[in-house]
Amino acid sequence: MDSSGLQSSGVIFFVLAGLVVIALMLGFIVYFIVSYRHKKKDADLLNLQKKEIEDQKKVVEKTLEQLAEAQDHLIQSEKMASLGLLIAGISHEIQNPLNFVKNFSEINQELISELKDALDNNDNNEIKEILSNLDENMSKIVFHGNRADSIVKGMLTHSRNSQGSKVAKDINALAEEYMRLSYHGFKAKEKSFSATLETDLASNLPLVPVIEEEISRVFLNLFTNAFYATFEKKKLNPDHFEARVLLKTSLFNNRVEIQICDNGNGIPSKNIEKIFQPFFTTKPSGEGTGLGLSLSYNIIKAGHDGEIKVESNPNEGSCFKIYLKYE
Amino acid sequence: MFTDFPHSFYYCCLFLAAWFGIMYFRIVSRPFLFLILLVWLVLISELFAKYVSYVWHQSNNFVYHIFTPFEFFIYGFIYSQLLGDKKLKIVISILVLFIFVFEVINTFFLQSIHQSNTNTIIVENIFLVTLSLMLFIRIKEVPTYQNLLTEPVFWFNSIILIYYAFNIMIWGFHNLKVYNLANPPNLMYDINLVFSGMLYLIFSIVLYLEKIKPQSNLIHHG
Repeated sequence: MDSSGLQSSGVIFFVLAGLVVIALMLGFIVYFIVSYRHKKKDADLLNLQKKEIEDQKKVVEKTLEQLAEAQDHLIQSEKMASLGLLIAGISHEIQNPLNFVKNFSEINQELISELKDALDNNDNNEIKEILSNLDENMSKIVFHGNRADSIVKGMLTHSRNSQGSKVAKDINALAEEYMRLSYHGFKAKEKSFSATLETDLASNLPLVPVIEEEISRVFLNLFTNAFYATFEKKKLNPDHFEARVLLKTSLFNNRVEIQICDNGNGIPSKNIEKIFQPFFTTKPSGEGTGLGLSLSYNIIKAGHDGEIKVESNPNEGSCFKIYLKYE
Repeated sequence: MFTDFPHSFYYCCLFLAAWFGIMYFRIVSRPFLFLILLVWLVLISELFAKYVSYVWHQSNNFVYHIFTPFEFFIYGFIYSQLLGDKKLKIVISILVLFIFVFEVINTFFLQSIHQSNTNTIIVENIFLVTLSLMLFIRIKEVPTYQNLLTEPVFWFNSIILIYYAFNIMIWGFHNLKVYNLANPPNLMYDINLVFSGMLYLIFSIVLYLEKIKPQSNLIHHG
């Protein structure tokens, strides 16, 4: 083929082919722009949604922080309420021996006055009798003084031991002590209240490793609830109801079982599932935070790897059962 | 010398791109700094080729035998920056090495320094079209550009795709039909000159867009 032939056929083919190539490339670029815009739109939408989710996440996190803060305050309130009951109970415990000390001291003052008269009259028989009474009373004063002293020392021992570590404890003694403390604490609040405290304590219980401060709070909560339940029932039947609270301990499947039962109003079956939930309470506003049983549950389950159960019959009463490992 | 339209248009566009290169080399991003270097390499080699041709009255084809591998070396660097992928950088390095080796083989065994090195040019063009398509895919994978039409990288890649795809056809046709003709048709070379002029005109626009846009290109920096 010569150059003139190329001019007529080859170059025309070349120009046409060139136009086709350019058209194809331009077509590809236009397609690219359109598809890019679609993808960009989708990506922008996705980013917008991501941003919204991020914003919402921040709001939720902030709300959670506020909730945690509020929960801390409530837990603190619950602890303070428990402390109030505890102080009332302790005060009562110390008040009893102090009353004895005070009464016997007053009697002794009178006896000393009588002794002076007897000495003036030289009545030896009277002197001997008065001295004997004085000696007896002094023994009682010493006995009750020692009792008050041991209560204070016991409390000091509690506060020194409460370092968050487990210490092997006599559960019978601890539970009984807090039964009494919470009873007197409750009585200090509700003057008209009285209940029969019953105990059925197993003599063969081993020492149980517990965080004393925490387990004491559980006992305090459960006994206070028991007294509250019986007190509410008593308000409805003031003449025909006798409040009774039972503390029973036993060995059960290699664990120590502690039962705290009352003959109060019981828990309605619809509430049984919720009672260990935080902030659940049936008490009137201002009387309960709804954290007592929730905290108790956490202390037993998480703090002691134990178990806490409740059995209740409406109008017959409730029984809380705690199981703690002792090995 | 540059009296006809294709030559005048081509050299005007090349000078414009070179001028923009001087004006904006301080502010353009790294890949386009190498584009400026490429434009200046083209300008110097073209002027040298004309000097050899018009002053020494000798064939200037040897200039293109040297120029082509270095041109692809710079394009390779630009694309490895724009694609920003370590594996692709290795692939591009291998392609650059291949072009250098191919040019040596081509010069010794196929097209001597007195002939046009169209074989190397065709292989280089195929590589550039492939790199351009890969960059389009990469841009679409990560759609960060708000308006594609104001993006220098889009215009750069588009003109590379169109120009070098067209070039494959020109030099392919040249190899098959007109390589050994005594009087090859000038129309073909004139069209090539006009398209080359458009390439450097778009490069000028790319540099201008680089100047006016804020530097927040994710792909540029890998």
